[in-house]
Amino acid sequence: MSRISRAEVERIAHLARLRLEPAEVEDALLRLEAVLDYVAQLEAVDTQGVPATAFVIPLATPMREDVPGALLSPELAVANAPSPRGTAFTVPRVLDDEAEG
Amino acid sequence: MSEPLETVAELSAQLDSGVVSARALAERSFARLDALDPALHAFLFTRREAALAEAAESDARRARGQRRSALDGIPVALKDNIVQAGEPATCASRILEGYVSPFDATVVARLRAAGAVIVGRTNLDEFAMGSSTENSCAGPTRNPWDLARSPGGSSGGSAAAVAAGIVPAAFGSDTGGSIRQPAALCGVVGMKPTYGRVSRYGLVAFASSLDQIGPFAHSAADCALLLEAIAGHDPNDSTSLPEPAPSLTAALSGDVSGLTLGFLREADDTSGVAPGVRARVREAVAELERAGAKVREVSLPHTRFAIATYYLIATAEASSNLARYDGVRYGRRAADAAGSITELYERTRAEGFGPEVKRRILLGTYVLSAGYYDAYYKKAQQVRTLLRRDFDAAFEVCDAIVLPTTPETAFRLGEKSSDPLALYLADIFTVSANLAGLPGVSIPCGLDAGLPVGFQILGRPREDATVLRIADAYQRRTDHHRARPPR
Amino acid sequence: MSTDYEIVIGLEVHVQLRTRTKLFSSADVSYGDAPNHHVTAVCLALPGALPVLNGAAVELAARAAMVTHCKLHPHSVFARKHYFYPDLPKAYQISQYEEPLATGGWLEIETPEGGARRIGITRIHMEEDAGKSLHEAGDPETQVDLNRAGVPLVEIVSEPELRSAAEAGAYLRKLRQLLRWVEASDAEMEKGQLRCDANVSLRRRGETRLGTRTEIKNLNSFRFVEAAIRAEAARQAGVLDAGGRIQQATLGFDAERGRLFVMRLKENADDYRYFPDPDLVPLQLPEERIEKIRAALPELPGAREQRFQEGLGLAPADACTLVSSRGLADWFEAAARAHGNAKHVANWVLRDVLAALRERDAEVEALALAPAAFADLLRLVDEGRVTAKSARSLLAELLFSGGDPAALVRERGLEAVSDTGALEAAVEEALAANPQAVASFQAGDAKSLNFLMGQVMRRTGGKVDPARVRELLAQRLARP
Repeated sequence: MSRISRAEVERIAHLARLRLEPAEVEDALLRLEAVLDYVAQLEAVDTQGVPATAFVIPLATPMREDVPGALLSPELAVANAPSPRGTAFTVPRVLDDEAEG
Repeated sequence: MSEPLETVAELSAQLDSGVVSARALAERSFARLDALDPALHAFLFTRREAALAEAAESDARRARGQRRSALDGIPVALKDNIVQAGEPATCASRILEGYVSPFDATVVARLRAAGAVIVGRTNLDEFAMGSSTENSCAGPTRNPWDLARSPGGSSGGSAAAVAAGIVPAAFGSDTGGSIRQPAALCGVVGMKPTYGRVSRYGLVAFASSLDQIGPFAHSAADCALLLEAIAGHDPNDSTSLPEPAPSLTAALSGDVSGLTLGFLREADDTSGVAPGVRARVREAVAELERAGAKVREVSLPHTRFAIATYYLIATAEASSNLARYDGVRYGRRAADAAGSITELYERTRAEGFGPEVKRRILLGTYVLSAGYYDAYYKKAQQVRTLLRRDFDAAFEVCDAIVLPTTPETAFRLGEKSSDPLALYLADIFTVSANLAGLPGVSIPCGLDAGLPVGFQILGRPREDATVLRIADAYQRRTDHHRARPPR
Repeated sequence: MSTDYEIVIGLEVHVQLRTRTKLFSSADVSYGDAPNHHVTAVCLALPGALPVLNGAAVELAARAAMVTHCKLHPHSVFARKHYFYPDLPKAYQISQYEEPLATGGWLEIETPEGGARRIGITRIHMEEDAGKSLHEAGDPETQVDLNRAGVPLVEIVSEPELRSAAEAGAYLRKLRQLLRWVEASDAEMEKGQLRCDANVSLRRRGETRLGTRTEIKNLNSFRFVEAAIRAEAARQAGVLDAGGRIQQATLGFDAERGRLFVMRLKENADDYRYFPDPDLVPLQLPEERIEKIRAALPELPGAREQRFQEGLGLAPADACTLVSSRGLADWFEAAARAHGNAKHVANWVLRDVLAALRERDAEVEALALAPAAFADLLRLVDEGRVTAKSARSLLAELLFSGGDPAALVRERGLEAVSDTGALEAAVEEALAANPQAVASFQAGDAKSLNFLMGQVMRRTGGKVDPARVRELLAQRLARP
């Protein structure tokens, strides 16, 4: 039984904003199938009542004072930008229906 | 055997006594780099001029009696996923081509404050994802013991740089074994501290709940020195332990009497362990017994689920941590993707990430997606709790757990690439320590057919000192850590 | 619209907390500056950057939860909410999901019919704001400014218990009053400090199941919220009446044209892939900390209003108006205490001070006159040393420039003529100069008295208490 379909792979690729060539989709299908097959062994582990490890070493919540700290200069902020305009970043014009998901 | 490579402690003493200058050490590093690195490919970037100037400053400080620490003037290397202000950080990925960090990792700031001289940045598996350094966009690093073989990964460059004697110390990161495994395959000492012991601020995140920065060196004593310099609470890292750096060098008493070592049954049972590896590890355990430690068997029953658990959690966190690489604010952007923002994202990431990174992002995204979260991610976090409980139970009856670092010695480059799971499965002895947040060190314990074997010591959380004490005691009685590659 | 339908409205309100720095970075919060002038490595999501929680934001969020009667959870968890958008630098927002800061609260609104209704609040959680995308007309590119990225927000989600656009407006106004009261936020919609998304659905009256809802976003004034809800309810009714079905969608409201437009059709639910943020530990709020925050809260509006009614004897409507803002309540109460007659002070505040503020479109915070000085002014009027009219003429100046009322009265020569001799002389003069009016009055024309009063007022420069003048005139005219 197939654990993952081609359509699933394409949906996941879109969620992750990865454009895959057809050969890459095939490769992903095979590899994901193999890994999912492998991790399926966890189904056999009895985890009834076992809490998920959310945090490795329990700590009291660190908080900082509400005091402004050093800023990156605006020039430095965009120094690595592929396409800055002044001190702003630019991207191809965004249409509202491209937001989210 | 040829002259052993010098340790940080030895070089520091030489600097103090004036036998050698920091400038000379730096020049020596670059000379060895020029001679060896074309074949090894351990380094992605070097900072020759800056390093030589900093070395000269170190000498001036020493002359004025203002030596900053035992690391003052010592040449070191950084894995290219630990950021330094004004220097590139590519994580061996195309997507960070040309990126220059405007800030220092906390670890880097502390090293510079200690006077260490950073000579360059080392190769790794892309975004630290891999166990062979073959996933680097710049091509693999080779093992100094046999250039046809992998140095391990993901911190292969740092391990090789130390093993080849280019630098006496280097830093890497360990998420599932990425310091300990290359240390074992390259015949050097590599330490992963307790989770939270060393700040992750400035470590390019792979899997946030598993990552730690740690040192490579030729001795446990050196690792203690290096760890003391970089460890301790960092207000910039919310997951850093609240206490300051522990005193580690002072704990190296050489005495292991009164300690109980737990030999991991599951490591012994695994038929996948090469006979030579098994033999060297047993000899190491015997040596520690002669030194006065008690040895008994312990079991971590959920060990066989560790890899599956690790890969679900690590890839989930990685898919999230790597979402920011989108060509908007930094890094490489797909050329002429002016059509739409979606096209920009999809093509930038498709062109920028290598195949293994893409696979892990896909798996991680799947694991977190609606409908699958409970079955995969949540389940894995529950099994993680069971693994932690296994360790808690084992540490009731022993002070440290000992086991091989890897099932086999260094494999040939290209050997593992075709089988999707082969490399993953080789992490079997290292991932559990990351899942449970434990300190772990790999130390050389001899050769098998001319290739180094690593012996691993895991300790209770926060007992980094105990782990290093055991390693150091072993190294006072043996000299496997002084072996150097044939070249 | 067909009266068969009941409108069901739920509001999701995002409020910017009044902190100096951002939620997870120490960059300062600032409005209107040039792009990327208030950013750190954390704001830009640079490789290696990590979040650290702002303690003040937690305190303000807790106050918001307390003032809406929510249950504060001692343990809550920050979760990553993933989506791709240029103004979201990490490609995830740090928010809270399964374990939010607070749940199960309410606030009370006045219905248009005059009653009071409790509207449930499902949850309040903390999250970081996104940056801003700037689209200029004709520009093939969008600019991205991350100054706002990381500013602390709370998201306040109401139960779908609002039943009309007017109720929605009342809810928002009440929420704003409460948040400003405890200084959790300035909550100015025009500055984007309070943003409201409205979820609207219809169902047949008596039906318990909820209808398909649409979401209206980017509403930036209370009026537009109400207008948009009305428009959407009407639209949905039209669709249902015609036998159609409501499609799930995200809508915007074109305020100029008063029309809704579709931003996005929502076929599938978004997959945000929430999971607990591994760079942060759970937010632990021990009981002592919660109690400290609670103890530091000012007396809340409801309690204050009640005290004004019961303790100071004010009428309910007056008490209500006086607690519309904490600044006003504080100013009034200080003046009342300094003066002694709360009702009297309340009348002046409600009528004259509020009018002065309205005229200047100013808030109470703009008042430069100390409440005790205001009390002094009222006492001058009470003692007849200045007429109420004269006092009012000076009020605007005193309120906004401050000063000493008695000194200003003297300076302007506005002391009332209260010397009986002078007054009687003025009355004699007025009567002597207007025999016709006197005769009219004595013949039974009461209006002549007003005329004569006016004459006396003129002769005294208006600096005399009208009631006193009337009294003296009446006495004089009663004599032969």
